[in-house]
Amino acid sequence: MENAKKAPSKRLIAKIVILVFFAVVAIIAAVQFWQLRHFKEEVVVSDALTDVKWFSDYVPSLEGTWLDTPVFFFDSGVEGGTVFICGGPHPYEPASTVAAYLMMENIEVTKGRVIIVPRANYSGSTEGMLGDAYPMFFDVESEWGTSTFRIGDRYTNPLDQWPDPFVYVNYPSGQSQAYQDIRNLNRTYPGRENGTPTERAAYAILEILRQEEVDIAIDMHEAEILYPVTSTYVAPASVLDREHFEETGEMVFVEPERNALDVAMMSGMNLSGQFLMKSEASPTSLHGLSHREWSDWSDAMTILMETPEIFIDKITGPRTEALMTEGKDEFLQKVTDKGLTYFPYDMEFGTPMWYRVGRHLTGALETLTWAGMFYPDIAVEASWPTFLEMQDLENQGVDSVGAFLKDPNAPENADNVYVIYKEPVGENMLKWEE
Amino acid sequence: MVFIQNLIQIIYYVMAALIAISLAKSLFKRKKNGNWVYDIMYAYCLIPFVLRVLHIK
Repeated sequence: MENAKKAPSKRLIAKIVILVFFAVVAIIAAVQFWQLRHFKEEVVVSDALTDVKWFSDYVPSLEGTWLDTPVFFFDSGVEGGTVFICGGPHPYEPASTVAAYLMMENIEVTKGRVIIVPRANYSGSTEGMLGDAYPMFFDVESEWGTSTFRIGDRYTNPLDQWPDPFVYVNYPSGQSQAYQDIRNLNRTYPGRENGTPTERAAYAILEILRQEEVDIAIDMHEAEILYPVTSTYVAPASVLDREHFEETGEMVFVEPERNALDVAMMSGMNLSGQFLMKSEASPTSLHGLSHREWSDWSDAMTILMETPEIFIDKITGPRTEALMTEGKDEFLQKVTDKGLTYFPYDMEFGTPMWYRVGRHLTGALETLTWAGMFYPDIAVEASWPTFLEMQDLENQGVDSVGAFLKDPNAPENADNVYVIYKEPVGENMLKWEE
Repeated sequence: MVFIQNLIQIIYYVMAALIAISLAKSLFKRKKNGNWVYDIMYAYCLIPFVLRVLHIK
């Protein structure tokens, strides 16, 4: 009789032990998710900074949400064009954001105005890709210490926008796309002021292009080398006739006042001595992408840049931090040897972070140079570290990305540090910490 | 559509909470499947629901 009474209590203790064990597992997982969501990236912004705005200054309903993000202005005060540079539209292409940070830390502007958004889809940077096990962060070494950056997702975090529909329909084209692209910033342009959070962020970018009268818009991405549009400029050779569309609802594409594809092609040819950069025309039938919609719905001349990022190719070995920062993979080498990739991949060299960041830095400068030559009235003169400068440092054994990052903890930089982080203010509603 | 999305999201979190409560209840009080292996299964399955209810994942 006594044994019968004791047996249930032992079982109860066993159940509690099991529950505690899995509670500990849940807490370990929760801490990691929390760290990624709330990690603070710091940028020592150049003295050339003249103003900081937010997406919510253009779309007020974004204030306090994870889709709000800072916009940095660098105005020379000298009459010229305005260039908009978009970093981090797809956070799992981090060379885009790191390139934007390097620009912001080292920029000098002598003519015109430069506008930089380093984390265009902030929400997407706060999670990893569902089902893809890979590191949350990667490090860059400098003389003064280590800088840590997020490896995010392609899409807006489902904590901020969910559920997805069965089919995503782009507005206003009406084109049907994959369901998850409703959370893909680079499929939701031109966006809607009262749409989903991602559509509102897209709309905020279009409002920046329109209200700030942007002349040249550059969107920085990375792409798999099994994807044809890698190592490429993409630019529109024709743009939407907006007046005709507003009158009839029919989409007709006409030659633009300023041809971005001409600028892209000349830039690509001129860069051939440094690295391969192809040029492609933006299709008129593929909607929601920056290289189509930015120029269709504003007067900006748009150019999208893709660097080769093998980390997001689907056939690599383990997705480690080294794969992200060095880009060396034997499986992709075999595929390249069989002629199946769209980039002359060499495993000995890989696709290191400095190479991809340097390509963006020089790729953007080259487009500014050629845009100014084709259209002197919108010329912008700016400088930041270049691909060749980084290559020289790498040849000397120096981590060139780290060499151009400034120490946020150094006293002389204290007034220039910006923390790219939002402070929670409620249910999925967060406020930026300035 | 945004309203429907928000509504579904609220319903989803309520459902996640109810399932989590149901799993916890089944861990301690159930009539079938008395083997201890099911104790592990119920405790293990709780994790994603708890993380969702807490808006962590």
